[in-house]
Amino acid sequence: MKLGRLPGRLAVSVLFLATTLLRGQSLKDFEKTVTEFTLPNGLHFIVIERHQAPVVSFNTYVNAGSVDDPRGKTGIAHMMEHMAFKGTETIGTKNWPLEKKALAEVERAYDKMQAAKNKAEAAKAEVAFKAAMEKADDLKIDSEYDKIVEQNGGVGLNAGTAEDATNYYYSFPANRIELWFLLESERFIRPVFREFYKERDVVREERRMRVESSAQGLLVEKLLMTTFDLHPYRISPGGIAEDIENFRQPEAYAFFRKYYVPSNITVGIAGDVDPKEIRRLAEKYFGRLEARPAPGPVKIVEPAQKSERRISIEHKEQPILVIAYRRPDHLDKDDLALDVLAEVLAGGRTSIMYRELVRDQKVALAAGAQPSFPGEKFPNLFLIFVVPNMGKTVAGNEKASLDLVEQIKKEVDLAALQRVKTKLRAGLIRRLDSNSGLAGDLTAYHVAYGTWKRMFTDIEELDKVTVDDVKRVAQKYLVPEGRTVAWTVQPKEVK
Amino acid sequence: MKRLLTTLACALSLVAQPAKDYKSLKFPPLREVKPPEPVFFTLPNGMKIFLLEDHELPLISGSALIRTGNLFDPNDKRGLADLSGQIMRSGGTKAKSGDQLDEELESVAASVESSIGESNGSVGFSCLKENLDPVMAIFRDVMTQPEFRQDKVDLAKTQARSGISRRNDDAAGIASREFASTVFGRDTPWGWTIEYEHIDRIQREDMVKFHRRYFFPKNVILSIYGDFSADAMKTKLTSLFGAWDAKQEPVPPFPEMQKTRHPGIQLAERDDVTQTFFEIGHLGGQLNEKDYPALQVAVNILGSGFSSRLLQTVRTKLGYAYAVSAGWGAGYASLGAFQISGSTKSASTTDTIRVIRKEVEKMRESPVTPEELKIAKDAVLNSFVFSFDRPSKTLNRMVVYEYFGYPKDFLFQYQKAVEQVTAEDVLRVAKERFRPEDFTVVAVGNPKEFGKDPLTALKLPIQKIELTIPEPQPAAANQGQGSALLKRAQDAMGGLAKLEAVKDLESTAEVKFLMGATMAPAKQRAKRIFPNILRQEQELPFGNVMVFSDGKTGWMQSPQGMIALPPAVTQQVQQDMFRQAISLVLSDGMPSRTVTSIDNATVEIVEGANTVRLTFDAPTGLPAKISYMTSPMAGAPNEVVETYSGWKAVNEVMLPFEYTIDQAGKRFAEGRFTSQRINSGLKVEDLSKKP
Repeated sequence: MKLGRLPGRLAVSVLFLATTLLRGQSLKDFEKTVTEFTLPNGLHFIVIERHQAPVVSFNTYVNAGSVDDPRGKTGIAHMMEHMAFKGTETIGTKNWPLEKKALAEVERAYDKMQAAKNKAEAAKAEVAFKAAMEKADDLKIDSEYDKIVEQNGGVGLNAGTAEDATNYYYSFPANRIELWFLLESERFIRPVFREFYKERDVVREERRMRVESSAQGLLVEKLLMTTFDLHPYRISPGGIAEDIENFRQPEAYAFFRKYYVPSNITVGIAGDVDPKEIRRLAEKYFGRLEARPAPGPVKIVEPAQKSERRISIEHKEQPILVIAYRRPDHLDKDDLALDVLAEVLAGGRTSIMYRELVRDQKVALAAGAQPSFPGEKFPNLFLIFVVPNMGKTVAGNEKASLDLVEQIKKEVDLAALQRVKTKLRAGLIRRLDSNSGLAGDLTAYHVAYGTWKRMFTDIEELDKVTVDDVKRVAQKYLVPEGRTVAWTVQPKEVK
Repeated sequence: MKRLLTTLACALSLVAQPAKDYKSLKFPPLREVKPPEPVFFTLPNGMKIFLLEDHELPLISGSALIRTGNLFDPNDKRGLADLSGQIMRSGGTKAKSGDQLDEELESVAASVESSIGESNGSVGFSCLKENLDPVMAIFRDVMTQPEFRQDKVDLAKTQARSGISRRNDDAAGIASREFASTVFGRDTPWGWTIEYEHIDRIQREDMVKFHRRYFFPKNVILSIYGDFSADAMKTKLTSLFGAWDAKQEPVPPFPEMQKTRHPGIQLAERDDVTQTFFEIGHLGGQLNEKDYPALQVAVNILGSGFSSRLLQTVRTKLGYAYAVSAGWGAGYASLGAFQISGSTKSASTTDTIRVIRKEVEKMRESPVTPEELKIAKDAVLNSFVFSFDRPSKTLNRMVVYEYFGYPKDFLFQYQKAVEQVTAEDVLRVAKERFRPEDFTVVAVGNPKEFGKDPLTALKLPIQKIELTIPEPQPAAANQGQGSALLKRAQDAMGGLAKLEAVKDLESTAEVKFLMGATMAPAKQRAKRIFPNILRQEQELPFGNVMVFSDGKTGWMQSPQGMIALPPAVTQQVQQDMFRQAISLVLSDGMPSRTVTSIDNATVEIVEGANTVRLTFDAPTGLPAKISYMTSPMAGAPNEVVETYSGWKAVNEVMLPFEYTIDQAGKRFAEGRFTSQRINSGLKVEDLSKKP
């Protein structure tokens, strides 16, 4: 028996798989469960019917993220996300007219604190500021917004701010759909940014936890600042500590006014719903949102990188290594081939990085690749990360990884490519199993590509990616001049 | 006028009409959910099966629950269950290596995985419907015939060591680990820590034994979910598992947990963090005790969810922490922990602990408000439907209830009990079960930044947590010493250059070996071309045997005739080539081999499935003996020890001219070389010639 590079039988079975996979999960079938509409104010809804159980998941996708943070106000998109849970003029207050005045007083007291000319004045102003905050606090109802959701059986209430977008999500029993419409529309019509300065501390604390207390967090922060010269991808959604510490409430409100406009919002609803009823409720509740001009996209263009950049930070933790390459945005024709490249390189136990670095050379505890980082709507990074094994060096791992990068430019196994295609295809089916996943995925695809259908058609496009495409994008993007290498080193005294 | 009206209308439309009060919304009753009824039966071999059909997507998944757990780890081999669980899958089955499984499964986007946790083991699969048969066959083989191949044992041990070396990287991880260790018993399997020495002691044979002891049909509950027909699946399972008849004594109960108190503060110092991560609490309870529902309500009000007291005070009011939460840990068959976790900026560490204690005290002093009680109960009751949002959740519950002997309607009993919880109940259980005076407080942070409010202000005993990881004994860190021993041996045998120049070796020996009860004479002629070609001619009492192997194929001529070399013999030949002293001492320069020093005279050399320990003669530095385990496929494994002596120079290379072989402590063979020649220009063509 002669062993070819691709055993014939495997190729046939993979093709067979590709056709049968679509039976029952084709775009055509799935389409029947989806209803879309846009309100006159520009707010778009995607409704997915799944009647398996009387539950519904909601996802509000706001097309604004930390890339939209104004200069000197990094982290404000994230701050805004926190404020969206603070209630409205009717939720979270004991007496809105009084509280409104009290909140205005807090701002005036802050102004005075800033205007203080000497220590004595500053101390006095601080006392007055704290008193004003306490007075406003007395008029609020603690976390009423959250309590309503919890008490009504809502699960998974949370939100996330990324570079490209901010998402708000949770699930309700199906008989409480109208409550979601009421709560969600109110918080984007008349939100009240109460407890702003306390929440500012919380946001500051979140940064301490996620970034400052973690080698990985610090390394990624440094990597982004090193590789991006101008584009806001330079700064993570967590923002710069000094910016956060100086946020003012009107600044967050200005961000809200500018970016939280209906045409910049897409809502995904998946579960046991009647699309007609959803439309009626959408018109009733979200029809009230004032149409306003959509904010323009970020215009800053990142200049091309000319040569390799290298950065290391000292940290007590065991070392980690990140190799990043510049790549274009998600609309580029090479996007899917880069997805495949990441999988061939480091997806699963048959990937070449796992086999070489983890299994055979045993130099790494783990290795991974991510096709897009930190976001995808603007030119971004193709990322390789490696966790060296005990006693193995970062330098050795870097060399071994770069050797593999060179190897993949020359040779990509057809069987490996087929495995990746099969995996991504099956991954699509597995994603159809969850209300919250669907509500999130479909809104994200809609905003990124103009249609949620892209989630399905991408799988067809993926089938066209060839071995040569994968080699070509590796040759084109995984080049030294587009590369930034970042790693941590342990201080000398630590073993 | 008309214009004015339009303008007014425009102005009005810009101010959105307020929505009505949320309290006035009326909700229709929720459509009733009927939990699905899984099919249950027992196979003749004792394996219990649950099946649940779901035809929404063309997917099938299954999971076998096995009564075992790391609670059964021997004290000196902590980590055995975990490693066994990993290598069951990664080490492949009798029929296929782990790498082959990776390839086959990933080609069809399927998975088969195995793992062993604290109090159960699991082997699971997931696949597209059309790949069910091959995937289930792999699933069966992983569960019933794992091979624990040595290369994957080595890989998992290397990774486990790296895991240990990184265990203090994450401050939150340190806090939760140290808390669990303290509360559950640092010296017991409930709370002990796995060190390098434990991993180093674990061998393949331990895993084989571990697997044999716990993986038998009567000890397995298998559940399968997805797009299949239950009848067809029943037939399939009967034929797949029908022949599996492994028998073992019933698995004993898990070791008892010691119920001890550990009040006070334990501090782990880290000067590279700006936050303190903390865990506060003591032992909790069990799920099936009568007060569990009231305790859940109490702990919800105290600290789980957005409207809890702790979040209100610590996060919202004081702005101390991003995250703080409380949980009443309860196991199905063991105690969980009452645990309050979170993080806060360094300067507010002490006050956060103080405030948390105060909030717990308040729970014990006065009843919760009717509103709090209602919110906590409503949250449980209204979200109850999410326990049924996927049919698989019901199936999983049935399996777990069966495993721990819980009633089938346990969840519904719980729901009813929550409905009936009163404020008095909450106060009573808080008084009885929340014991702030017993709190173990674990804090991981930088005390230099705790500022004006140091931990000592709490007036509690403070103990420091030692974060140094005990050095690995024989592991990678000693590679340097191992290499030094090899280098010395290379010098003693004539130097690296001379040794590396050895291409072939031809030898004749007179041997006595154990046949029955007596030592029988034999003659052996061997021609070797390194690294892996061997022709061996043996004159034995019962006739002549001639073997040739080029590493992959070969032949064997014996009184029974000429046959192609069986794979098992090929493997033995390769092991023999690997064990040649002249090859072993060069191991430090071969990337495929790892060298680990065992003590100051012994190194362990591993290449693929081969492991040998080589001990050196202290005065000369020459190899003195090697030891290894015989391949377990030849019955029970034995330790084999070979000694070398009578060293003489051949072409300026020192070679041993006498040797002995002991098996399981008993003399098996002794031999003397009558001649040895180096680089006589042996050729494969000549060696492979059949007689």
